Amino acid sequence: MKINIDNLFRNTINGSKPTAPKEIWFAIEAELKRKLILRFLYMFFGVGLISLTGYLFLFSETERSPTIKIQKATSQEELISLPQEKIPEKVLPLTTKKSDSPAASFPKKYKRNYSKKSFASLSDQNNKSSEKASFFEKKVMDTVIEKQVRKIDSLVNNLDSLVHHLKKDFDKERRRLLTEANKKNSLKKDSIDSENSKKVKGRQWNIIPVYGILNTGRFSKNTSTLGESFNEKTTAGLVSNFYGFNLVFRASERVSVQTGIFSKEIRFITKGLFLNNAITNYDPSNIVYNPGVDVQFSTSNIPGSTISTNASLIQTIVYMEMPFEIKYEMFRKSKINSNFIGGFSFLYLNKNEIEAKTDLFLRNVGQTNNILNTSVSINLGLDFEYHLSKRLFFNSAVMFKKHYNTYENYNNKTAPYTIGIYGGIGYKF
Amino acid sequence: MCLKYSRTYQDAQDTLQDSFIMIFKDIKKFKHKGSFEGWAKRVTINVALQKFRKKSILKFDKIEENQLTEEEITVDVDEKNISLSFLLSLINELPPKYQLVFNLYVLDGYSHQEISEVLNISTGTSKSNLFRARKLLQNKINNSKINSYENKHRQFVS
Repeated sequence: MKINIDNLFRNTINGSKPTAPKEIWFAIEAELKRKLILRFLYMFFGVGLISLTGYLFLFSETERSPTIKIQKATSQEELISLPQEKIPEKVLPLTTKKSDSPAASFPKKYKRNYSKKSFASLSDQNNKSSEKASFFEKKVMDTVIEKQVRKIDSLVNNLDSLVHHLKKDFDKERRRLLTEANKKNSLKKDSIDSENSKKVKGRQWNIIPVYGILNTGRFSKNTSTLGESFNEKTTAGLVSNFYGFNLVFRASERVSVQTGIFSKEIRFITKGLFLNNAITNYDPSNIVYNPGVDVQFSTSNIPGSTISTNASLIQTIVYMEMPFEIKYEMFRKSKINSNFIGGFSFLYLNKNEIEAKTDLFLRNVGQTNNILNTSVSINLGLDFEYHLSKRLFFNSAVMFKKHYNTYENYNNKTAPYTIGIYGGIGYKF
Repeated sequence: MCLKYSRTYQDAQDTLQDSFIMIFKDIKKFKHKGSFEGWAKRVTINVALQKFRKKSILKFDKIEENQLTEEEITVDVDEKNISLSFLLSLINELPPKYQLVFNLYVLDGYSHQEISEVLNISTGTSKSNLFRARKLLQNKINNSKINSYENKHRQFVS
């Protein structure tokens, strides 16, 4: 039977040619595609990791410095306690050792293709072997490099996971330390506060010797408490002094109660009077002249009797004052605090005196008879404390006090008010 | 495939090994545009051709195209009685220049244009070499038939 020679060879050889199943080729292609994608991914993540590491090293120096010791310690512990499979294998050196044959380094699955004969023939044929050897070396180097790259990739992955774990652990540790520190601080604060409060509780009393000056006034105009006859003359208050001591009881953190004993002087001057040497039986004023005083004061010139046309009467009233006040702390900052003061005072008349001031003399001439022995005042003020030491403090206050029930047969409008400022060094006990 | 392009079995082994190395080395060059099988086949053929070139055994006869005939070459044999090894041995006995062209054209489906590019020859040379290869193979097959008949006759006489 005649047959075309091409068909004879084609059918026989190609028909009996052992071929790998199609699935194998598809599997190889799929694997190659997967490796291609993985290669891109590794490149992407490698570049990202390098960038991130560079960024962290370059821009987070200040964050790393205080925590580096803890990180190091943790990383060492972590490395020791790492499971074996996590520790990366020793990376092959880039330059192969002399004793390492190319076949030894060649992957196992390809090793069987290297028969001893082929290696022998390589050594026999000089030209062939040198070319082949260089080619093999290249191939082997490529394979080794690929292997190393894979190992480095796995190492990088391991390092990533290690860094991730370390970061987690470090965050935990930092949170724990912060919590402990906060607890310690709060305990310390509590203990300090309790100590302070104990100390404060132990020192609830303060005593403050004070000295101050005050000015006196009246809300009513053209009214003289010396007598109706003096109403048309000018009456003004004079600066006087104020001294005594305050005793303060600290009732709570902010509220204190204070009392004390003070000597409070109030002075008024009535100007534009005439001094007469003729004593009349009728005197419309509230002045009670001392025995032996043979002069009188009038608001008008009495011909033949007036000896001085420029006379003034100075009324001095001294009270023993006992205040009852409540202090409310409005402001406190380290050594300074300020309190609002409100309360009242009992006043007990201690001195009632009229002095005559003329061109000729200055002498005590008597007293008024319309001042009540006891009176009260409503007190409002603001004080300021500066703590000099644990026991000493400087205290200063501005007080406004309105007197009530001062004069007999006069309404409270004529009762004086005082505005004073005082200061002193207090002692806590 | 390596046997087709080799003179000896050992050469074929070398070619196969070198082909595998080349495939693994250049595997990144595979662009996934065709099948991997086809790409691997081409690489193997290239390796085999390189071997031929290194041995400097490729000296093609330059023949003008008008000298070629379109004669169909046939053999009178029973296809079932022809073994693979016999045909391979016939191919291997061909001179390298004929062997390559025959393999590329008949067995691996290359066109004369492709063969001319691969072997750096003209298409005419490719065609003439193919014709001569066919003729040689025809003669060899016919000779083998005669020899086998003589052998059988001798056995019968004795």
